[in-house]
Amino acid sequence: MAEVEDTLKRIQGYNGVIGSIVVNAEGIPIRTTLDNSTTVQYVGLLHQLTMKARSTIRDIDPQNDLTFLRIRSKKHEIMVAPDKEFLMIVIQSPTE
Amino acid sequence: MSNTTVKQKRPALKVAKSSKTLNVSSGVFRVNKSISKTINHSFSGKSFSSEGDSRVLDKSSAQTPKHTVQVFDEHGQDVAPRPLYNPDPGVLQPKQGKIFPAQDTSSWTTMTDFPSVAFQTTNASNTGPFTRSFFGSISASRTSQTLESVTDETKDLLVKQDLSNSLSDVQARREEVQEQVREDVLDSVVDCYLTETETIWLLDIPTVSVSEDSEDAEAVKERNNAYTELCKNRLGNDKYVERSMQTFNGAPKTKEVQCDSITMVDKAVMSTIWDMYDSFCNKSDVSGNTVVSDQGNKADVPDSSSMSKLDLNPKGPEQSKSMVSISSTVSGSSAQLEKMACVLLVEEEPDHELILQSDKFKQDLAVMERVILANIFQPKLAAYRQLPVIEDPDCVRMAMGSKNSPSPFLEHLWAFECGLTMGRNVSSMTWNKKNPDLLAVGYGQLDFKDQKSGLVCCWSLKNPTWPDRIFHCESGVTALDFSACNANQLAVGMYDGTIAIYNVQAAEQTPIIDSSDCSKMHTCPVWQLRWIDHESGLAGEDKGEILISVSADGRICKWVHYKCLECVDLMTLKTPDLATNHMKWNRTISALSPGLCFDFHSNDSNIYLAGTEDGYIHKCSYSYKEEYLETYIAHKGPVYKVTWSPFCPDVFLSCSSDWTIQLWRQDLQRPVLCFTSGQKAVFDIMWSPHCATVFGSVSEGKVEIWDLRISSLDPTIVSVTCPGVNPTGLLFTSETDCVLVGDSEGKVTVYKLRNLTDGGSTQVETLEDVIQSTLSSQH
Repeated sequence: MAEVEDTLKRIQGYNGVIGSIVVNAEGIPIRTTLDNSTTVQYVGLLHQLTMKARSTIRDIDPQNDLTFLRIRSKKHEIMVAPDKEFLMIVIQSPTE
Repeated sequence: MSNTTVKQKRPALKVAKSSKTLNVSSGVFRVNKSISKTINHSFSGKSFSSEGDSRVLDKSSAQTPKHTVQVFDEHGQDVAPRPLYNPDPGVLQPKQGKIFPAQDTSSWTTMTDFPSVAFQTTNASNTGPFTRSFFGSISASRTSQTLESVTDETKDLLVKQDLSNSLSDVQARREEVQEQVREDVLDSVVDCYLTETETIWLLDIPTVSVSEDSEDAEAVKERNNAYTELCKNRLGNDKYVERSMQTFNGAPKTKEVQCDSITMVDKAVMSTIWDMYDSFCNKSDVSGNTVVSDQGNKADVPDSSSMSKLDLNPKGPEQSKSMVSISSTVSGSSAQLEKMACVLLVEEEPDHELILQSDKFKQDLAVMERVILANIFQPKLAAYRQLPVIEDPDCVRMAMGSKNSPSPFLEHLWAFECGLTMGRNVSSMTWNKKNPDLLAVGYGQLDFKDQKSGLVCCWSLKNPTWPDRIFHCESGVTALDFSACNANQLAVGMYDGTIAIYNVQAAEQTPIIDSSDCSKMHTCPVWQLRWIDHESGLAGEDKGEILISVSADGRICKWVHYKCLECVDLMTLKTPDLATNHMKWNRTISALSPGLCFDFHSNDSNIYLAGTEDGYIHKCSYSYKEEYLETYIAHKGPVYKVTWSPFCPDVFLSCSSDWTIQLWRQDLQRPVLCFTSGQKAVFDIMWSPHCATVFGSVSEGKVEIWDLRISSLDPTIVSVTCPGVNPTGLLFTSETDCVLVGDSEGKVTVYKLRNLTDGGSTQVETLEDVIQSTLSSQH
């Protein structure tokens, strides 16, 4: 358990990481380093996108499954690790 | 039978002037059986009589004394209602069998009439219209009866009326009485009973037939004729009046009913390939959980629109409550959903912990960390792997102060370090045989003073900021080696002589096996460990991999892992007696010189070199324990490292604390080349795995890369470390052109060799040429 906390702390401390969010299946944040409204916004939107991505992958091959999702944008990179029970989101901006 | 004439012209108040008076009050019907004139009233205030009905007019009534009704209220006042209509006594009342009675009395509700009451039962209806004819008929039926019979009917409410009441009185009185009535009865409760009455015969005259021979035949005939005459004369006769009646239409009444609005819900299900696949797979294990979860899913489907609403309110219990309220209106089985939601409510707190502790979460966390670091270290890692570095188009990179000098130099890529390793001395480094990205680093003090507990960290190239595995050891770690057969086994040698084998797949802190139980364990620091693979081993013995160690107690041992580690001495490093030419083993006073390093020949695993603290390098045979094959004497100080060249089978290199690096050929007693740069002890050397003429060395304060093609006198690259920090270990990477340097501060820095001339081939011939030329120049 302490390991997990250490890792989360380390992740937040890396260069360029803006925020990290861990939510459970209902959208309740378990750990978050962003403010509530931003968290809620990210979770809501990314949850839907993850569902769509997973649906896409599994439509092509039902035995396959989505393990990781990365969205690269102009300003940030959003990394999503989806699961049935939780959703982990990290937002990182590119290092200079 | 008295003739009763009933006349009704106008509604009139009946004044009961009969022998019986019956009074009716609203709500309470009192049957007055008595023929008393005085009537007691139950209600306070004024009394009234609602009468209806048959006007029984006696012809003889004019003669008979009229019974007056006297009504007294509570206070004894005479409040008898006075008659409204006083007919003119001179007017002849037609004796017509008018059946229908006169009075209509108004109901409580209607203004025009008084209720005419003639009841067979105690019931009375308040509304006028339909009762009119009804009452009239009753009264008509009564008219044929005698007054006595009427009086016998106790339930009858018959009132005699005086037709002589004047109309005007009626009108005036009506208003008054009505007002009185209203005030009295407004608050009282009215019970209305509606019953069906018996069939009322209005007229029943059975036909009678008379035979012509009877006596009355003539009379009957006359009467018949008279009747026929009458019928003929009927038309146009003033005595006959056509009259029509109109019934009132019932007042319509609108009635409204309200019900709950029917909520319409859209429900949609999307059928996808994976959905069908999942259902097919889960068909066998349909349990309560899945059923509930299915229902949960069903509730989720229409909740997709409200999902955003849910997300806006991420307060735990309230959210799930709102989910319940939403879903319960949607799905039919609200009970089960509520149960599910209740379960959710209860398990919310532990759920978070469960998620955080689940394996999947840890895995994902590790992956996420690596991904982030890959983003951060991408250019470095790409340089490491000799991939082209892709510029990030979106981020502004500062122009790296890259040295574009043509001369070779070491480019700093990154350093493996973390808080745990700071301040520790890096004593040994080794790559994993199977996974070239995995690096094991041992931390331990090399001096006998400042002994701290040791640490072994397994670093992955994908995460330079935190080791993947951390093993704490009791004493300082001095030697490490990964096994080649079982790539997850790491042998660790420690300062106190213990050898432990760890399994790096699991993160357990305890080693698989420890040599501390072995009787013949080393008593002094283990300076080097190596897993040696004996393919060409002796028959039935020593096949497979064995662990060889050299320690400061002068023994080179072979360790075998059966149930516990068992040790067999391979060689004891006895000090050769230099006084004589022959080596004499002085067994009486024989000291074992501490062994510091050894290296097995890459082609022939029976031959190995051992370096001792005396400065001697011994060539030994694996199977021969007693004697050395050869001894190379050149160094004046302890030999820290001896390595065979990976390309030339006869050439080996040795370094020592006498500031020199010697290049030997195994058939020559004297070294071929001697490299010196600076006056510091050389701690570590290593041949480059790519180029036969390149090797690296580490001495106090400096990292040097020598390239024999360029010069054998000076190192090609000299990299000076920070003052105070001494590099203690050197490791080349087998796949790329990078070199790792471990220092006394716990850092393992990764450098890239830049601008080192790459001849294309391994340059074995060059090395041979160099050696050859040197040798020839010497002679």
